[in-house]
Amino acid sequence: MTGDPADDAAGAVPDGGTVAGETAGGSGGSALAGLRERDDFVVIGMAAALVAFPFLLIDVLGGVGDAVGLSVGGYSGLPSLVLIYGIVVIGFNLLLGYTGLLSFGHAAFFGSAAYAAGLFSQVVPSPILMVVVGTLVATLLAWPIGFVSIRRSGVYFAVLTLTFGQALYFWALGPGSWLTDGDDGFSGIEADGLFLGALPLDAEPIPMLDSYTVMYAFTAVVMLVGVWAANRIVNSPYGLILEALGENEERVEFVGLNVFRYKLMAFMISAVFAGVGGAMFVIHEQYIHPTTGLYWIQSGDFVIMTVLGGTGSLVGPVLGALVFEYVANVVSGVSLPVVGSIGSLWRFVLGAVFVFIVWVFPRGIYGAFADLARYATGGGGGSGGEEPAAADGGERE
Amino acid sequence: MAEDTSVLSRRDVLKTSGAAGAAGLAGLAGCTGGGGGDSEYSSLGNYPVEGDEVVFGFNVPQSGSYSQEGADELRGYNLAVDHLNNGGGWVDDWSDLSGDGVLGKTVASVDGDTATDPDQARQSAQRMINRDDAIMISGGSSTSVAIAVQELCQEERVQFQCCITHGNGTTASECVRYSTREMFNAYMTGAALAPVLEEEYGSDLNFYQLYADYSWGQSQQRSMNQFLTEGPGWTQVESVGTPLGTSDYSSYLSDVPRDEADVLILNHYGLDAANSLPQAIEAGLDQDMEIVVPLYNRLMAEAASDSIGDIFGTADWSWQLENGPTQTFVEAYREEHDRAPSYAARIAYTQTLQYAAAAERAETFYPPEVIRQLEGHEFDNAGLDAETMRECDHQAQRDVLVMRGLPPEEQTEDRLLEVLNQTSRDDAGYACDAGPAADCQLGDYGDE
Repeated sequence: MTGDPADDAAGAVPDGGTVAGETAGGSGGSALAGLRERDDFVVIGMAAALVAFPFLLIDVLGGVGDAVGLSVGGYSGLPSLVLIYGIVVIGFNLLLGYTGLLSFGHAAFFGSAAYAAGLFSQVVPSPILMVVVGTLVATLLAWPIGFVSIRRSGVYFAVLTLTFGQALYFWALGPGSWLTDGDDGFSGIEADGLFLGALPLDAEPIPMLDSYTVMYAFTAVVMLVGVWAANRIVNSPYGLILEALGENEERVEFVGLNVFRYKLMAFMISAVFAGVGGAMFVIHEQYIHPTTGLYWIQSGDFVIMTVLGGTGSLVGPVLGALVFEYVANVVSGVSLPVVGSIGSLWRFVLGAVFVFIVWVFPRGIYGAFADLARYATGGGGGSGGEEPAAADGGERE
Repeated sequence: MAEDTSVLSRRDVLKTSGAAGAAGLAGLAGCTGGGGGDSEYSSLGNYPVEGDEVVFGFNVPQSGSYSQEGADELRGYNLAVDHLNNGGGWVDDWSDLSGDGVLGKTVASVDGDTATDPDQARQSAQRMINRDDAIMISGGSSTSVAIAVQELCQEERVQFQCCITHGNGTTASECVRYSTREMFNAYMTGAALAPVLEEEYGSDLNFYQLYADYSWGQSQQRSMNQFLTEGPGWTQVESVGTPLGTSDYSSYLSDVPRDEADVLILNHYGLDAANSLPQAIEAGLDQDMEIVVPLYNRLMAEAASDSIGDIFGTADWSWQLENGPTQTFVEAYREEHDRAPSYAARIAYTQTLQYAAAAERAETFYPPEVIRQLEGHEFDNAGLDAETMRECDHQAQRDVLVMRGLPPEEQTEDRLLEVLNQTSRDDAGYACDAGPAADCQLGDYGDE
């Protein structure tokens, strides 16, 4: 389980910025090897992609949809949702892709942060503080869960995390419903607006472009902070140890490092991202239900998004989140001329996409783009040349 | 890009009103919004409806455990759209409807999959509202989905017409102005069942309950306890929660005290009931006591068809009713689909027509005016005799059917249950300050 993603992980570190560059500037993914290793390039590239994203998803795809007579355009609200899941899976990938730990219980952090933020909003309806509180709760929860689960590895680790997640789910649905509203879902969420309520989240500051809401801008900024932080982590010596853990745990132990502590940290870091995502989710949706927040299928969705996008790259999983949410929320409503309504077949479509990607591009969508860019620019290199580059990137920090 | 302009004008007054930081934009949106269409009212939600089509969004479970129910809902919706545009069915009988679209506009529809997941349902509804400009959303086959979507519809100022939702919450503490429910609820089930059970089984009995441990199951067992204790004076031995989605009930069933309990109430729905009921029969509990399933649906009756003989429950409606509207609907449905409709199809059908009729009466799609037409509306043309869509909590006051399962040898494909009693709404209903309605605060119309 751990071998493959870890190999890829090593290769992908310096590529962090490529995808951003591509999405923003078309096919100009030239091998700017030096640039790609720099933090600010990654963040700037990502920022450019985030500026274009809603326009591409809603207006351009909507236009295409009108032209071909299929409703394939996105809708206002979808871009923020993709980014929110993107934040979660960037963190999840630090654990799965880099450290090589497959957690099946990350919904626990996502959901508990969402509930915590929702509950906190009834006291102080400030989105920023909601994110802080939600993240804090998720982090505090990750410590005991990680402390117990990390003692086992592989499938035992996965099952332990799954168990904790499911325990929370059933608690929220039944006994805890005095706090969570159980199956009715928690809906009394008050998120005023940013900066003491001055900027309502659903305002659309740019005339004519109603997909650019304040909520989207808020999510995009949080996303950028997340990308920057994750990039710092994977390019630091600390990140290098995490990668080493994914490759060969025993070696790391022989070097004299405390494996347990590093794994626990990786677990908690990924829980921080899940917590931020969970709190953002509740601000965005103004609603949270145990099935969405805490059920194991949500944890499984994180795994699918991450693998689909590419476990080996920093921002690859965001592409996975995009494809996943697009299929779930847009493709599911498409009616094809002959086949009829896709409706319930969306899971089948998603499964087909997943199998295709994993089969043809084992390194995920991101890996496919990266390969494509390399061929296009004739930048040879091949997969063999990547590993040292990664090591360099790390050491230079 | 022309489309963007129109989207902005339609949606933005609401979104930016009260937005101190975006006051300028609100002004702009207000100006452009006043320009088009029947601009008697300012734009709100997806009003005004532009072009010659009006879009309804049908948000039903197409995957997951209620997909069968969702498919029948969709058949009801599509029949309603067909009749609204081309006449037929109840449209010919309802004086408000013309059979030539609604307010001169052709009805178009979009559908989506709720997957019986509240968040999936909200995403799907959001897409219908934002991208497809749906003026009304209907659907759902569980209370959590109904509550999640109606909350969204209240925010977005788009009407939600509940389909299947039986939990009290929808028209109690979670009720909203922009949603109406014609289906009855757990509280009314208790009120309708208790007198029938007393007549059949006698008074001074002990009953034991199992309930699915989530909001519907909890409210259902609470109301059974209330009505069986108050009415026939029965005594509850115990009420035990079972996790939602349990497949093996044998440990819970073996705990039922056979010598003490006279009646076992299984507060389970859908797949849960399809599991628990046959297992209870298998364990021989029906030899020692009577079994009651408070809410029937077709899925469960079919899955447990060998076990439902003589078992009581309630249902929203049955195709076996002999009144005129029922027969008209069953006939129209049979023509298309060659079998009898389940109650899911009728609610879907009637909720769509109710909205259309209210818009016709209001002579506009302006949501607050449509809602005011729905509120307090009295009708007897929806297959259940006299009904009132009550203003105080948007819960229809209507009769409740008490059903009895048929023994396997008397069953046919469509006829698994028989109508035992149509409990009048005076007995099944409750006042605005009583029961679930006491917790209801509907929220605003959006034009105050």
